[in-house]
Amino acid sequence: MNTRIALAAATLFSLVACQTTSTSTPASVAPAVAAPPTAAATAAPPPIWQQGRTPDQGTSKLAPHAGRMTATPVSEIPLSNFKLPPGFKAEVWATGMPGVRSMARGDSGKIYIGTRGIGRVYEVTDTGAQRTNRVVVDKLVQPAGVAVRNGSLYVVSIDKALRYDGIEQNPTVAPVDMTAAFALPKEQHHNWKYIAFGPDNKLYVPFGAPCNICETPSGEYAQIRRYNADGSGMEVIARGVRNTQGFAWHPTTKEMWFTDHGRDWMGDNEPEDELNRMSKTGANYGFPYCHANGIPDKDIKKANPCDGVTMPVTTMGPHTAVMGVHFYTGTMFPAEYRNVMFVARKGSWNRTQKSGYDVVTVRTDAEGKNAKVEPFMTGFLDASNDAFSGRPTYMLQLPDGSLLVSDEQLGAIYRITYAR
Amino acid sequence: MRVECIARSLAGWATASALLLLSGAPSAQQQPAPAAVPICNACHGPAGNSQIPLTPSIAGQPKLFVENQLVLIREGLRDVPQMKEIVAGMSDETIIALAQHFASQTPVLKAGAANLEKARPGAATASARLCGTCHLSDYSGQKQVPRIAGQDETYLVHSMKQFRDNPGPGRDTIMSAALYGLSDVDLINLAHYLATFKP
Repeated sequence: MNTRIALAAATLFSLVACQTTSTSTPASVAPAVAAPPTAAATAAPPPIWQQGRTPDQGTSKLAPHAGRMTATPVSEIPLSNFKLPPGFKAEVWATGMPGVRSMARGDSGKIYIGTRGIGRVYEVTDTGAQRTNRVVVDKLVQPAGVAVRNGSLYVVSIDKALRYDGIEQNPTVAPVDMTAAFALPKEQHHNWKYIAFGPDNKLYVPFGAPCNICETPSGEYAQIRRYNADGSGMEVIARGVRNTQGFAWHPTTKEMWFTDHGRDWMGDNEPEDELNRMSKTGANYGFPYCHANGIPDKDIKKANPCDGVTMPVTTMGPHTAVMGVHFYTGTMFPAEYRNVMFVARKGSWNRTQKSGYDVVTVRTDAEGKNAKVEPFMTGFLDASNDAFSGRPTYMLQLPDGSLLVSDEQLGAIYRITYAR
Repeated sequence: MRVECIARSLAGWATASALLLLSGAPSAQQQPAPAAVPICNACHGPAGNSQIPLTPSIAGQPKLFVENQLVLIREGLRDVPQMKEIVAGMSDETIIALAQHFASQTPVLKAGAANLEKARPGAATASARLCGTCHLSDYSGQKQVPRIAGQDETYLVHSMKQFRDNPGPGRDTIMSAALYGLSDVDLINLAHYLATFKP
């Protein structure tokens, strides 16, 4: 540390001036404010964040929660708060990686992890006794999407699609830039990605609605697409999807199940977030006219707004921010968890009393109906003072059947194990 | 101004060096922030209260705001050439300690009464654009949102023009949207209102 400070001091000699600094708040964590009344008068395009907020909500202090961009020491991770069903145990598996979200495992066991605001992709190496991590790439614009296929790491940020071939063996491999092939649209809002390869070896990529609520500005948004791994052969396979941040394929039916975030500023209790099932491609999931299990939008109206809309398997609670999903296929957990879906709910901001902040299980009948949502991992939220300590976002199953859970707020990964 | 700034920098360096010499390695490791603070103050002013036009005050800024900005500048996501070398390789622990330090400093309002011909329309703009929703009604900021009450007036104009005119990657889209369509005069009046704001 001495050396660092001395170096920092020495650099002042090379400073030519101290007159100017630039911006203030970071793009990824800033809250929403209401519409400037003069916007219409100046013929401004409506700012993406303001749609749907009513005048009586103008004094609301609800705003997206700030993320943390610095490493959280292990001593500040409240592991003892977590509650799990009997026999399950959580441990802190890896730390010191601000903003961790979705995880992908390489063939040799390295774990790759995407982030948003901090612009990094991490790699975790498990030596058995401990985990070490390094930054694979940084300075990207919200590189939330990571996937591994045939030894290659795929990273999709808002504006780039990159492939790192053989990265587990060659840590310094230069990326192949596939951005042009993927034709990523320009709007940023809700266009940070979750990505995954399907059973058809295609890469599935969502394109969120670039607003809270709006008619999408072009046909490029509010949809899920799939591509060949090189970005060719693009197909739009679902429309009316506001903002999905997680999907997985059922182990036996091979159907894709995906989460979708409901809109904001329509009250504390509606519309709820969704868990959807894609039993055919080309379906419409309702945005912007029809939300949740058939709630018409209050701002973007049309006759019979829910006609032809595929309803969710189940709603997932209001504003809970449903993130990653995972069908459990391991043998470590009891048999009743086989093929059960785990859903991480990152937790609400647009709600007077916080909701979500947990990992739940979803069980359905063989037809994918009669869903039952039950808490699995709780304790991220302290109901006594409505304060959260962490925000679970994604799961990854390890070969031994244990389950990793990423905590975006604390930059930590927990490992869930079961023993009789 | 430039001469003054460099002089301050050198003074800061000398102070920091002296602290390092006096404190020795162990305590410097335990408390890196106080040793680095004079370097910050060299440009940002005594206790982080700016004396230099176009340089922001950092006294009393929310801790998370300072943390985020130092990380963003270190990571190259926010381009501030004057800061780049200083924060290169800075550890998260140092950033947190610096943020804690400046968050706990008292912001000193600059002398001088508001010119009501500017402050009144500025207040109207602040009200219309709902600045207080995020920056709070006393504009003291919260969490990741900065204090703008008592901020350097020229810096406020500069920063708001950047938000208004250069939206794009790495820029705060919410601020860009909040300032959309405001004229230079609007921004100048708004900056004056905020810089001279007294709770």
